Amino acid sequence: MRDVAFGQFYPADSIIHKLDPRIKLILMVLYIVGVFLVNYFFSYIPVAIFLLIIVFSSKVPLNKVIKSVKGILLIIILTAILNIFFNKSDNVIWSWNFLVVTDGGLKLAGKLALKLLFLVVGTSMLTFTTTPMGITDGLESIMKPLKALKVPVHDIAITMSITLRFIPILIEEIDKIIMAQKARGAAFDTGGLIKRIKAFLPVLIPLFVSAFRRADELAAAMDARCYNATPNRTKLKELKCMPRDICALVISAIFLALVITLPIIWKVLQLPLI
Amino acid sequence: MSIKVKNLSFVYSPKTPFQKIALDDVSFEINDGETTGIIGSTGSGKSTLIQHLNGLIRVTKGSVKVCDIDLTAKRPDLKRLRSLIGMLFQYPEYQLFADTVFKDVCFGPLNFGFSQSEAEECAAQAIALVGLDFDEVKDKSPFELSGGQKRRAAIAGVLACKPQILVLDEPTAGLDPAGKREMLELIKRLKGDIIKTVIMISHNMDEIAEYTDRVLVMDNGKLIKDAPPRDLFSDISCFNNTGLKLPHTVNIASILKKRGIDIGTPLNINELVFNIKQALDGVK
Repeated sequence: MRDVAFGQFYPADSIIHKLDPRIKLILMVLYIVGVFLVNYFFSYIPVAIFLLIIVFSSKVPLNKVIKSVKGILLIIILTAILNIFFNKSDNVIWSWNFLVVTDGGLKLAGKLALKLLFLVVGTSMLTFTTTPMGITDGLESIMKPLKALKVPVHDIAITMSITLRFIPILIEEIDKIIMAQKARGAAFDTGGLIKRIKAFLPVLIPLFVSAFRRADELAAAMDARCYNATPNRTKLKELKCMPRDICALVISAIFLALVITLPIIWKVLQLPLI
Repeated sequence: MSIKVKNLSFVYSPKTPFQKIALDDVSFEINDGETTGIIGSTGSGKSTLIQHLNGLIRVTKGSVKVCDIDLTAKRPDLKRLRSLIGMLFQYPEYQLFADTVFKDVCFGPLNFGFSQSEAEECAAQAIALVGLDFDEVKDKSPFELSGGQKRRAAIAGVLACKPQILVLDEPTAGLDPAGKREMLELIKRLKGDIIKTVIMISHNMDEIAEYTDRVLVMDNGKLIKDAPPRDLFSDISCFNNTGLKLPHTVNIASILKKRGIDIGTPLNINELVFNIKQALDGVK
């Protein structure tokens, strides 16, 4: 349970870690937009360069990054396979009964697989380099204008940060309960699907009981500290935009512009549009 | 029925920034019939150590042998191992899940392949053994019980599997003084009747002094001392920097010693009173 790589913070001393979380969130949105704007294989070149720059300057070891992909490898492969067979455009390369593979299908499958891959690696770079608290602080700050529309921005942010904070706690709890039930002879890795799901009941019930208990205790503790007694809570760590944040924003904007204009350049140079 | 641990080391999250050495070259043997206490400050590796005994953590370096089961083997017989070693974790009441106490206590025996009637018989015995009223609690939801009753029910769930060795991780944590005493007396009674060997983690030195025959002291993943409580508490040089304290009885004895009255190393209140009386008689 402890080895969930996707969405885990990796502490290191790097420029990416030091960036303002708000900037990182905006960068991530720009990056996702960029990935979705890609229509040709060659357009992935600037995206890949951008991603490599982030990965290497973040000092997160490469095998950690690769591990984050492993979790959704199955989804990527499945998407690719489905697209190979269901897209019937251009020249038929291979066919058998109702299964037809066309070069259009192959291209589409390749592009989609790359799209998913880039999305996952890119977004996991955000969670690798930003603490959960950083992400929620950043989100709260970005959503501040919504306060005018009576959106409970602070409540949303605190709910998010409690959620994120409790994930490792609950994982630890699951570990403990699993151990206790294993010690009583429970087996979680034998039998068919139904049997395995049933075997998990002795873990799930205590987990829910303890989650409710913790929620109660936390609510009481927050109440005891007069949570929400003042309208404007101050922060221990104020977010501040530094020159490096502006710099990161400019670099990313250039890359995004490159992704958008690359097909036009390609056309002008009369290179093959693949 | 002995437990043999040799050169056991364990590292959590190796090769990451979260890497933590939990056990560092630990070796000891525990024989039949012993009540062994394990003490050490938080994070000293006690829990990791006992989780090895039950195959809950795979042995990565060194070796662990329980009876004839070698845990370094590729596929050790974990089912038999876990039926031999009953393990009671910290706050065991959080492992209760079934809709009645009776069903919850039957869970273990049924997992270990007891027949339905055997399991029910063992469960009924175990519930009575821990001092709960069988007819009163058997159809109750475990979540309706009081804190102390919940813990007893959880212990019954472990005892119903008929283990030979009982491993307890802070069995008295979170109980009131009376509950603590009852729990310790229960363990003592079990030890005489149905359990051969007891291993107990505790932070309470009074409990360790009074109820164990042997103490393992852990510090930063290392086993720094292995001695009977009387030897251990009469020479506490190894306690430096571990944050461990003396039992109250020994504390009183050491204060008296400073005043020139030597009453040895008493391990429980009766002994303390007896020794003081003797010393007083000697003065007269």
